[in-house]
Amino acid sequence: MVEARIDGKSASIEAAAERSAEILSRARLPVIAGLGTDIAGARGAILLAERLRGAYDHMQSDKIFTNLDVNRQAGLMCTTPNEARHRADVLVFIGKDLTRIWPQLVERLAPGEIPMFDLPHEPRKIVWIAPGRSAAELKGIAVETLDSSDLHATLGALRARVADKPITAAKGAKRKIDEVAEILKKARFGVAIWGEELLDRLAIEMLHGLILDLNKSTRFSGLPLGADANSTGVTQASGWMTGVPMRTSFGRGYPEHDTWRFDANRMIESGEADAALWISAYGQKAPDWKKQVPLVALVPPQTRFFQEPQVLVEVGCPGIDHDGAEFSRELGTIVARKASHPSDAPSVAAIINRIAQQIGGDA
Amino acid sequence: MKPLVLALEQEPDQRLDLSPLCPHLLEGKSAKEIAEIELQTTREKVTVGDLFHIRAGSAQTIRFEGGSTRLDNIGFEMKSGEIVVEGDCGKSVGRNLSGGNLIVAGDAGPFAGSCMSGGRLEIWGDAGDFLGAPLEGEMEGMSGGLLILRGSAGARAGDRLRRGTILIEGSAGDYPGSRMIAGTLILLGECGVLPGYLMRRGTIVLANPPALAPTFVDCGVHSLAFASVFSRLLEPESRAAAKLLAGPLNRFAGDMAALGKGEILYPA
Repeated sequence: MVEARIDGKSASIEAAAERSAEILSRARLPVIAGLGTDIAGARGAILLAERLRGAYDHMQSDKIFTNLDVNRQAGLMCTTPNEARHRADVLVFIGKDLTRIWPQLVERLAPGEIPMFDLPHEPRKIVWIAPGRSAAELKGIAVETLDSSDLHATLGALRARVADKPITAAKGAKRKIDEVAEILKKARFGVAIWGEELLDRLAIEMLHGLILDLNKSTRFSGLPLGADANSTGVTQASGWMTGVPMRTSFGRGYPEHDTWRFDANRMIESGEADAALWISAYGQKAPDWKKQVPLVALVPPQTRFFQEPQVLVEVGCPGIDHDGAEFSRELGTIVARKASHPSDAPSVAAIINRIAQQIGGDA
Repeated sequence: MKPLVLALEQEPDQRLDLSPLCPHLLEGKSAKEIAEIELQTTREKVTVGDLFHIRAGSAQTIRFEGGSTRLDNIGFEMKSGEIVVEGDCGKSVGRNLSGGNLIVAGDAGPFAGSCMSGGRLEIWGDAGDFLGAPLEGEMEGMSGGLLILRGSAGARAGDRLRRGTILIEGSAGDYPGSRMIAGTLILLGECGVLPGYLMRRGTIVLANPPALAPTFVDCGVHSLAFASVFSRLLEPESRAAAKLLAGPLNRFAGDMAALGKGEILYPA
């Protein structure tokens, strides 16, 4: 049985779609937020935003833009997990949160194995910068660790020493940094792996500069772990549909991208957005904003809200309840996933289609 | 000549794009024509006449009576003349400014003076993050002119600064002068963490330096001839800045992680 509620009371999907269309089309500037959905859901949501002349944002935008902003202002050299596993003779892990971000990280990269396509066939060298207690997770593998109280400073010092430039540091600290710099310089193909929670845009730009410097004499690349809720897939869908990532508004009739103005939380808290459609198909996540605003929510059952949404429709999870296309971290591309436990819980795309029909035409 | 006065009548309920209200764009327009200019950023139309009471005058000087943090792009691509905002303004005030004088009496939002290439921008209140910085996807920040901030700046003031001078009389948030390509950033108040992170060339002058990154190396105390020339140039704009540059200065070269041809100076 498909569950929909209007003002907390059970309702039909038709009535919920009609009420949603009314709320969203009456607003001056509606915002579609969360956007945790498969490619079909993201396509529907962006087309709906265009029809409503609203804005759209993703719940993981902050993490996406830490990499994307470096990519579009300085460049970013990236590879896939499989390439790292098969070819990298040096792996540089950065930060203590990597296995929390991606629990299969160690299994996928197999740091203990000899890389299949590396000619000399020697065990890899593993460096872990600012590991906290994480290095212990690589049982039985020799790990060169570099502790850091300030990742910005450590990455800067390391880049300077790789380029044989002077730094201001105590003798012991400098010797340690030089040891790691030597490992990086001797790499045949090195890969640096980072998460977007501990590193900000400046740290990633510094790391990318280090990778660029190393590429003058050897090969080196990066592997950002990315964020969940299909954020990378939605970014790509937004890119091929509008030419720009999320945090984009159709307010003036054409897509206008602005990471500050169209941050959904800021828009709601400032009162600039006067209605919201919240989408979170991958998990029971409610919006972070505290301000009361007319809200339509497409979420899994038992999602708890700070304020009861005006309209709520329970949706299924892509790849579990229904088939879906989404970005795969393992392969670094968009893949089709078959439903593992097919159910009649509707997809985000189906519900958005119903709402769009109430506004007129197919979205 | 009498200035053109635009008196704000109420707080707008959406963000507005004020880029059409520039001296060179309004020159020769009647009050009626100006009143019809559209400013909206949503599907709800808002014209200059809906929001402002207009007192006709020469568009070479535009005076905004009252301001709002929702008024974006004031002085966008301004080339000449003068704009005075007697209040706050939103994002990107003075973006791509290339000439003339732009004065904000209140606070400015983020990206104030973004990519300005000439002229003078003076802000009497505080400014948000990314003072003078480039927007999404742009490679270079401010490339000329003089930006004076009497209040305090947010994070990453002077990001990717390429030429010109930024003078901050108040304090600055974290990473001032991040990724500087060249140019001068002078900071009289307190300074956030890691000034000059990733700077390639250029000069940062700090009255109160925090701990510097290990990638800045001590070059000793100097009495720089250029600093005293610059001091006299700044005298009419800020006596405190002139005084800071007049004395002997510690010089640290960096950021050694990047090109390392930049410098951070502070009083010896």
